Amino acid sequence: MKYSSYVRMTPSRVVLNEKMLTFEDSGKNLLLEIYRKAVGDWPKFFKMDPLSKVGFVSTELLLSTESPRVKDCEDRAVILFNRSGSLADDRIYEGTIRSREEFYPSPAVFVYTLPNILTGEIAIRNKYYGETSFSVLEKFDASVMLRTLEAAFVDPMTRSAVFGWVECGSEEEFDVCLFLVHREGEGMKELDEKEFERIWKI
Amino acid sequence: MKRAVKISDNVISPLGTSTVENLDAILRGESALRVHSGSEKDIPEDFCASLIDEESLSGEYLNAGIPLEEYTPFERRLILSISKALSGTGIDPSSRRVLFVISSTKANVELLHSENPSGKEYPGYSAVKVASFFGNGNAPLTVSNACISGLSAQITAVRELECGHFDTAIVAGADIQSRFIISGFQSFKALSPNPCRPFDSSRDGLNPGEAAATVIYTWKEPQEGEWYAERGAVRNDANHISGPSRTGEGSYRALKAVMDDPEELAMVNVHGTATVYNDEMESIALSRAGLSAVPVNGYKGYYGHTMGAAGIMETALSMASLDKGVIVGMKGYSECGVSCALNISNENRPASGKAFIKLLSGFGGCNAAMLFRKKGGAL
Amino acid sequence: MEDLKQELKEKIIAALKLADMTPSDIDNEAPLFGDGLGLDSIDALELMLLLEKNYGIRLQNPAEGKKVFVNIDTMAAYVAENRTR
Repeated sequence: MKYSSYVRMTPSRVVLNEKMLTFEDSGKNLLLEIYRKAVGDWPKFFKMDPLSKVGFVSTELLLSTESPRVKDCEDRAVILFNRSGSLADDRIYEGTIRSREEFYPSPAVFVYTLPNILTGEIAIRNKYYGETSFSVLEKFDASVMLRTLEAAFVDPMTRSAVFGWVECGSEEEFDVCLFLVHREGEGMKELDEKEFERIWKI
Repeated sequence: MKRAVKISDNVISPLGTSTVENLDAILRGESALRVHSGSEKDIPEDFCASLIDEESLSGEYLNAGIPLEEYTPFERRLILSISKALSGTGIDPSSRRVLFVISSTKANVELLHSENPSGKEYPGYSAVKVASFFGNGNAPLTVSNACISGLSAQITAVRELECGHFDTAIVAGADIQSRFIISGFQSFKALSPNPCRPFDSSRDGLNPGEAAATVIYTWKEPQEGEWYAERGAVRNDANHISGPSRTGEGSYRALKAVMDDPEELAMVNVHGTATVYNDEMESIALSRAGLSAVPVNGYKGYYGHTMGAAGIMETALSMASLDKGVIVGMKGYSECGVSCALNISNENRPASGKAFIKLLSGFGGCNAAMLFRKKGGAL
Repeated sequence: MEDLKQELKEKIIAALKLADMTPSDIDNEAPLFGDGLGLDSIDALELMLLLEKNYGIRLQNPAEGKKVFVNIDTMAAYVAENRTR
């Protein structure tokens, strides 16, 4: 598998293609700062749950390197993994139904209690009609993710993918390692287990 | 030519603990849907659902050697369904050449209601426990793609076999209808207070359902009479995170990606949740894909929406019914309530053809279709 | 009534997370859905929750909501007439 870009993001650090990006804030405010500086025109961001916010801004950074930015296509997939699924939002939703007295289940919170809503948000933003998929693993495992990615490319329609790990415990705790991968990519770097691990450790 | 051949399957629901028991029950027209008092789940509104009585499975758990105290109901049901599917197949589930793929939308989420879920709320934790029960050491995948999970799990599994990563894939799905899920769907005004009426003009929402289901695939040359997965596809509407596309975009594209000749299809087994927008969307997608004349059926009128189990149990029931040469009637349907007319009947009818498509769609704008074929002549 | 309209605007901005908006950005007669604030089906459900939580008004279904959530004027009139708290 080849890749053209990667983004590595934690609450205190953002690396895009070997370049450390400088932001003033961290955690929740880092997400907001990235949105303001790198996106700005997608107010749905404010409605998103923690996982979607984290995955959305990091994908925006990843795709900002693509020129021209590919939109409105069926041959790009979104294949993501993490450990917590949508637990960050599940806990928020549980808070809206915790007691019988204060029982006000929120539809806007409930809708995000599925991790694949993030893959949908990315598809909507970019008009990607291709495959979207979210899988949960017990822990970060580059080899399993790459194996599953290879399997995803069995679909002959799929030629590239936003791929990787988007772990999110809350807006203050997240760990992202995403790639823009391609079935064929002349002059592009090979994404193997070793390379995935190297970038994960950045 | 080698294919992902279906070796075995199992369905556990309130109507039975094997695929055959379930098929016989729905062929008789039985439904597992009942009206329940909200107080059963500590929620204000009553609801109509298909719920498994956990007590009724205790004998089965004992027989399968599942220690109750070590597993949550979600995990137990998965293990029981897998055990039953494995029985008599000769497959060694502990082999390094066997992959476990779990399909669930909410796994053990109900544990969040307790003070200290102690890590059991993580879906990957449950998947490892289930695989470990069978002595399997490969990292299991938990596919979490909302309502299409049961198909995307099968699609992933079949591709892993095609790539030669494994010889056998055990795909199992389950969900527990907790206070969490039911209150959420109520907040979405997506539930019908009565047994649901898929594709009917009076449909007014879905019913939550509980089931556990398993399907096992092995990469081999299909023998006469064996079912195999031809291919599957997942496509996104790229339109809205909860509302189905008004043009059926993703479902239409998924159908186009898996379809060969509509003439060979015995039926399309749809999602048919009985929400106003889902069924309308499916009718548009099927019509756009040129499938208006192909018999269409669905099982939500018998079981409600069993979430992570749905795609797997509906695949297993479709194979079993077509083996009998029957298309199960769409319970709850009486008058067409979608804008594109389809070939639907609420009565069991004879099937002809040696293939079918299973269709699902879900939140996140995702849609999945899978084409299954039976080796040999007519059904 | 003007106070109620102001209160509704503040609550809508908070509940629907309309960041970067202030009550003065919302016109009393401007449509809430469609071209106006660009709200969607989830927002409509969230507005129903807002009425229940703050004013003890339970709308049965989104269709009923459509008539109430035309604009701030219609919403305020409905709340004033039907509130139980």
